Amino acid sequence: MDLDVAMRVASAGMKLQAARLRVVAENLANAESTARTPGGEPYRRKVLEVASRRDRETGALVATIRRWAVDRRELPLRYAPGHPAADAAGYVRFPNVNPLIELMDMREAQRSYEANLNAMQMARTMLQRTLDILR
Amino acid sequence: MKATLGQALEAYTAAVVRDRAALAPSDDPTGGELGFAALVREQLASTVGALARSESRVVAGLLGKASVQDVVEAVSAAELSLQKFTAVRDRVIAAYQEIMRMPV
Repeated sequence: MDLDVAMRVASAGMKLQAARLRVVAENLANAESTARTPGGEPYRRKVLEVASRRDRETGALVATIRRWAVDRRELPLRYAPGHPAADAAGYVRFPNVNPLIELMDMREAQRSYEANLNAMQMARTMLQRTLDILR
Repeated sequence: MKATLGQALEAYTAAVVRDRAALAPSDDPTGGELGFAALVREQLASTVGALARSESRVVAGLLGKASVQDVVEAVSAAELSLQKFTAVRDRVIAAYQEIMRMPV
């Protein structure tokens, strides 16, 4: 039934936003994770690639993670001569994580989660109100 | 009252046949059996299925194998399914009682 399917779709959306929040948390936590040796790769910002998939049971299109992608943007250099990963000139490659962007992503994930939550609640309320007619 | 019990039963059977034709046009798990028992059996089976699904989802959730969202979705689907079943059952029983009260 459509309202049940709506609940399924909303719950998949909530799961996706939870995964997104996890990515944001990882990015924020690893904003300073550098390599151990000069020339090594520091942490790179992760991004979620979202895809819609057809749910086999209900036939609805639900949002899922296609893959965890890596942000290929340039890594910023920071002058830190004492660092174990510093090159000959004293520069260290730092992760390409911008906390401001991550905070905006976090907000977006929160809002989207709430939107899906509202859809789920609404489907439930509509079903319940319909059943109330019989009482 | 002009309508006889026979007419009422006929009308009721016709209504059930019509509803069942609308609900299950092709595959009929009860083998063409009509009436309240078949209706209850069908609804009960689907409700029990939903409850079992929600129970297994809750266990998986407690073991950390299913997400909170999955658990909430399964539990509320089962709850609504049970509500649907009880509402329809109450309604059909009320209809039967109505027929029983008819003067023959």
